[in-house]
Amino acid sequence: MRDSENVIEVTDVTKKFKVYYDKGKTLKEKALRANRNKYEEREVLKGISFCVKKGEAIGLVGHNGCGKSTVLKLLTRIMYPDAGTVELKGRVSSLLELGAGFHPDMSGRENIYINASIFGLRRKEIDQRMDEIIAFSELGDYMDNPIRTYSSGMYMRLAFSVAINVNADILLIDEILAVGDVNFQEKCFQKLMDIKRQGTTIVLVSHSMDQVERICERSIWIQEGLIQMDGIPTEVHSQYLDFMSRERKKKECAG
Amino acid sequence: MRLAKEIWEYREMVASLVKRDLKSRYKGSVLGFLWMFLNPLLQLAVYTVVFSTIMRMGIDKFYLFLFVALVPWLFFSTCLSAGTTVIFSEQDMVKKIYFPREVLPIAFTISQFVNMLLSFLVIFAVLIISGIRLNPQALFFLPLVMLVEFVMALGVTYLVSALNVYFRDLEHILGILSMAWMYLTPILYPMDMVPQQYVGLFTLNPMTSITVAYRDILYYGQVPHMNTLFHALAMGVLVLAIGQVVFGRLQRHFVEEL
Repeated sequence: MRDSENVIEVTDVTKKFKVYYDKGKTLKEKALRANRNKYEEREVLKGISFCVKKGEAIGLVGHNGCGKSTVLKLLTRIMYPDAGTVELKGRVSSLLELGAGFHPDMSGRENIYINASIFGLRRKEIDQRMDEIIAFSELGDYMDNPIRTYSSGMYMRLAFSVAINVNADILLIDEILAVGDVNFQEKCFQKLMDIKRQGTTIVLVSHSMDQVERICERSIWIQEGLIQMDGIPTEVHSQYLDFMSRERKKKECAG
Repeated sequence: MRLAKEIWEYREMVASLVKRDLKSRYKGSVLGFLWMFLNPLLQLAVYTVVFSTIMRMGIDKFYLFLFVALVPWLFFSTCLSAGTTVIFSEQDMVKKIYFPREVLPIAFTISQFVNMLLSFLVIFAVLIISGIRLNPQALFFLPLVMLVEFVMALGVTYLVSALNVYFRDLEHILGILSMAWMYLTPILYPMDMVPQQYVGLFTLNPMTSITVAYRDILYYGQVPHMNTLFHALAMGVLVLAIGQVVFGRLQRHFVEEL
């Protein structure tokens, strides 16, 4: 790390995907289409660099397919960059997938153990957080019922409660603040602000400019695999929205 | 080394995946957990009928001769064939959350291993009832042989689970391969039935010495040869090393391939 204050350092990261026209996965397909195994390389990230300081909350914005979700996947370390480096300090938790490892036949409590352990928590740590997780989910009465009996709203509340109580140093969020009813959403939002005050670094990918502006003090606009703008959310967003409406007009004219 | 430390950090995940697997396997069936014992017992009943009344092999208590080698083989062959789906079936998790990918094959192998241990309770019960003399000195080596087999099975699970992500035919190929492999391992017959010119080839089979060692300990009641043990250990470590290296390479692009 170049700067000791930084908890995320992304340096000159590029990432290509192979997009197969017609991909053969089996032996027969591979043999028959040996010369048809053509693919196109799509460069999703063309050299992105940014740093995030401890306790900072940043938003990633951009149109569909601009590469912001890929950035988040690289930060989560489920993908590796083709070139460049991604460095993170501390425990990373991601709200990309809620309810990972949930088993419908097991009780809410058992599923909390499974789900939290996937985030890398030890037994002791889970025990410590158990009461808080249950309280946050407001599902205390249902904890010993199998979760196949839960409604989808209850299921998401349980999943969200685990993920948000992991106490990570870096929290990565992808477009999931639409959990439960209005009150639960507001509660999640308050919890996020609490977490932020405690010094957790947050990276949020969202199409909702309001959300980014409420939570983040910095916004990065990604356009065609490059950083277009990096700054105060309201300024970045007004530029971004202008750009999007120009694009829309262009399309309308062309159509 | 860093990998080992990280996997250790995720030991709770391994534990809860194993628990989830064992608990859910027999959920909804009337006899539930009892199937873990019933299954091997009923298999044994079939072998006893077939090999003591129809296909007599001229080996004393052939059903036991077979059973003590078959149970460990079933553990290994499950890892070989069902191990292919380990990454594939958890793709939602793999695509969205970071954790050391090794956790999945490790948890799968442990859960199969626990299954085998439960079958061993049946083996011991049957051995005692049928009056085979158990040699405590030989039994001392049983945990070692089990450990070696575990190491080997883990290596194989690493290998097939990672390769299957890129090459889906593997599942079907391994179905046939594991059948052939079983007949090429001295499970249904003793080693001395193998023609002399093929014995060399048999030693290349990593399961040969493990099977021989199990049978020495449980059926013949004797301490396995040091050569057998050493050979099994070397093979186990080799298979694990290959599996680990291949898995480590291939796992980098799991997310893109799934």
